[in-house]
Amino acid sequence: MIATFVLLVMLQVKVPDAAQAVGAPQGTPLSGPPLERRTMEIASEVRCPVCQGLAIGDSPSLMAANMKAEVREMLSRGYTEAQILSYFEKSYGQFVLLKPKFQGVNALVWILPMLILAIGFVIVVSKAKKLETAPVAPAAEPEVGEDSYLARVREMVEKQ
Amino acid sequence: MNRTVLIIGLLIVVAIVFVLFACLGKDPQHIESPLIGHPAPPFALKAVGTGETIDLQSLRGKPVVVNFWATWCVPCYEEHPTLVANARNLPDVQFVGVVFNDTEDKINRFLDERGKAYPTLLDANGKTAIAYGVGGVPETFFINPAGNIVAKFEGPLSTEQLQADLAKAMR
Amino acid sequence: MTAALGRFLILASVLVSTTGAFIAFAAGSKRSPEGLRWSQRFAYGFAALMLAATGVMEYALITHDFSVEYVSHVGSRQVPLWVTIVSLWSSLEGSILFWGLILGIYIAATTWFNRNDHQEYMPFAIGTWLSCGAFFSFLIAGPANPFLSVANPPLDGPGPNPLLQNHLLMIIHPPMLYLGYVGMTIPFGFAIAALLRGRLGQSFLKPLRASLLLPWIFLTIAIMLGGWWAYEVLGWGGYWAWDPVENASLLPWLTATAALHSAIVMERRGVLKGWTVTLIQASFLLTILGTFMTRSGVFNSVHSFTQSSIGPTILVFLATVLVLSVVLLAMRINSLEAEGRLESAVSREGMFLVNNLFFVVLTFTVLIGTCFPLIVEAVKGKQMSVGRPYFDAMVVPIGTALLFLLGVGPALPWGKASKKEMQSALIPPLILGTVVLAVGYALGVRNVWTLLTLLFGGYAAHVTFAQMWLPLRQRMKHGDSFGPALLDGQLRRGRRRFGGYVVHAGAVIVFVAIAVSSTMRTQQEVTLSRGQSTTFAGYTVTFAGIEERAEPHRQSTIAHFNLTKNGKTITTMEPRMNQYAAMREPIGTPAVYSTITRDYYISIMNLQGDQAGVLLINLPMVGWIWGAVLLMGLGGLIALIPMRRRTYVVVPESVVTAPDEVIA
Repeated sequence: MIATFVLLVMLQVKVPDAAQAVGAPQGTPLSGPPLERRTMEIASEVRCPVCQGLAIGDSPSLMAANMKAEVREMLSRGYTEAQILSYFEKSYGQFVLLKPKFQGVNALVWILPMLILAIGFVIVVSKAKKLETAPVAPAAEPEVGEDSYLARVREMVEKQ
Repeated sequence: MNRTVLIIGLLIVVAIVFVLFACLGKDPQHIESPLIGHPAPPFALKAVGTGETIDLQSLRGKPVVVNFWATWCVPCYEEHPTLVANARNLPDVQFVGVVFNDTEDKINRFLDERGKAYPTLLDANGKTAIAYGVGGVPETFFINPAGNIVAKFEGPLSTEQLQADLAKAMR
Repeated sequence: MTAALGRFLILASVLVSTTGAFIAFAAGSKRSPEGLRWSQRFAYGFAALMLAATGVMEYALITHDFSVEYVSHVGSRQVPLWVTIVSLWSSLEGSILFWGLILGIYIAATTWFNRNDHQEYMPFAIGTWLSCGAFFSFLIAGPANPFLSVANPPLDGPGPNPLLQNHLLMIIHPPMLYLGYVGMTIPFGFAIAALLRGRLGQSFLKPLRASLLLPWIFLTIAIMLGGWWAYEVLGWGGYWAWDPVENASLLPWLTATAALHSAIVMERRGVLKGWTVTLIQASFLLTILGTFMTRSGVFNSVHSFTQSSIGPTILVFLATVLVLSVVLLAMRINSLEAEGRLESAVSREGMFLVNNLFFVVLTFTVLIGTCFPLIVEAVKGKQMSVGRPYFDAMVVPIGTALLFLLGVGPALPWGKASKKEMQSALIPPLILGTVVLAVGYALGVRNVWTLLTLLFGGYAAHVTFAQMWLPLRQRMKHGDSFGPALLDGQLRRGRRRFGGYVVHAGAVIVFVAIAVSSTMRTQQEVTLSRGQSTTFAGYTVTFAGIEERAEPHRQSTIAHFNLTKNGKTITTMEPRMNQYAAMREPIGTPAVYSTITRDYYISIMNLQGDQAGVLLINLPMVGWIWGAVLLMGLGGLIALIPMRRRTYVVVPESVVTAPDEVIA
């Protein structure tokens, strides 16, 4: 990676560098298996822009391969996950983040399900209470089903 | 009539229908660029054929059209004549092609067959494309003389579209 | 000529379904038996017309009649006959016609099965179904007409979407999905009928439940086939990407599953009637929403059809049905409500309520996650994405909670139980749970959620197995010999219950297999030259070379890899790239070597001369998912098969206090 970088400098070719966008690396450079593992983890959170909703880690497209290589290179240079994600966000917008940030309106996507769970829980508890205290209605006699059939068998077995 | 059910139900219905109607007709492939109004990511890349290095910084002072393309992309064939013709007609505007995920000989063959009016740069590993937030080819960025991106267009350019976006860069 | 005949049939079906719907609703409100008979005839007529129209289309496809517009879009003389036949559902217009056909068959079959029963409800149900039939006929006649004529027919066509030709699963998946989706119309019709009547009697629960269970089975299988297809074709070793269209198929499945559970409480305790009806309505509405998602071009998905003009039409239909459903529900829900009560909340009934809560929360989570980018864009004009990391984070805990309930729910006794009864029901299954957990840990599982899944899975497996064979054991305890106890107690009288637990058994395996295969997978990317080998996950892979193969409809580049283990040749794997004439870029097809414990997966990333860049993936237990979902489908079928009205009673007379009519 560093060799390529040096080579590029020698050829006087300058590609856009992450440092201009997100500053100096804030983590420790990775290599070997941890590098691969982190690359896959971060690649699963970045949306492939040419595909349909797939992460760059899951997409077979060339664009995704380039972006995955970018993730790997940034990790090897010591960039943190937050820096890498913000680098992609600077050029693609929040569109590129498959895991929405807990920020602004987007926080709602995390809060709403919890809210529904809480409201639902209250409804279920109050409903159960109401049903427990409901008067016994004669119409409630359930149909003769297998379970009541079983109960009768059980009852009979017990009688013997 | 159970008013609670009616009110909650209708609220949900109105919300769903409103959102779905609002989204009808939008193109799901379109990506809004957060770079518009911001300085264009700098690059200095080698031109195919001539081998000279073109540095975006050195082009300050005139509008620049950066066109990302590839030889395997059909719409790129369609828009190529438009770009070449406009580049010839507009000497004050610098056109730059950037190709990624492609080989030099294929690009040379393409340009030999279809005409050439401006430098085409090779973007190894697609790093420049990533910095520009390219979501597919062709995609074209318009940069004003101050070096800020003013517009992005996805898909094959027509002369009208090109001139409309270029007008923003001239302002 | 053929095109004109098709158009005529479709116009006739618009007329027949509309008239039939009017007659049926009128017959319902006047309670006219004569009107009911007429509406039945119109239902059969609608089915016949749909059948004829589909027949005409298939005839045009098989004879390569390119003067029919649809055939000119998807037909080709170059493709095999089976591809030509399944081209019916390979593109938008044909798939809507196919939808109409299935709807027709469902309506006619349900009308026939209930021709002499449930006269109180049937007219309204038929009216509802035919109204849906009218909408789809209108769609076929207008915005999605496959029978338009082509003035200058071409000599040959482009053939159907290559993805359809790329894998055999693509032939079975769409029909299964439509059978599931379209089938939800039937319970919806019954639910609307119950609402219009303002009552839901015990005897009507049988057709309601059966009509819900059948599409549920199809949808279950279809979702699995879709995942399996993605796994076998898309090349990243996954089966579920939380893509909008995948979610669209999951949503009605979730509400239908919830409804099947609440229907049990409704049947036994007479409560939750309004709620069950709401879930059934939601299941149908979610299928329409799913259709909109797939066909409007609003969502970005691998599975969606290209932008089409039918989006607005479907949306108008969806909005209309939504409003009518809500208003009707609000008007009648009070008259349906509670006739019964629960003796204790900490009981099996109580667990059904919690089960429904989690299913609903899960439905909302998937729905919100899927639609949230649209909401943000509509309200704020900003783009954002909600993808797999979000869904994994949200769904895994809810799923684990459902697995917990899957164990604890059936373990709890019905009604009110003493503390001792509770303990003897809840504690023993912990043994198997702990054993499974320990085995998993010993095999290297460290992910907390997977460990929890193993614990709950083992627990649920114990409970499920014990409950599954309970009738057999009870009968044998009573003194019956094994044969009659099995045949009569287990398979005949206890069939519905037995089927239910077979579904549960399948579900337990699915939970465990998903957890294990997704957290224990390992992968490696390598580039190999010809003759070069690499060792990954215990196997040695040798790149043997590339072969080019020309087939009539495609050009394939096949890479050969030899798989060996400890020097012994296991198999040859052949991932390939298929180039179809109609497609610019080749489609890769990975090769999968499946064993009982794990899959070995090779996917080509790039091929250049003698170099092959490949992705190797080792996926434990993934094959179990397909098998276990099939088991779920089988369980559903066992529960669905109708039982004879009166069964031979082995049990002494004294036990039987009520007429022994068993609801199937």
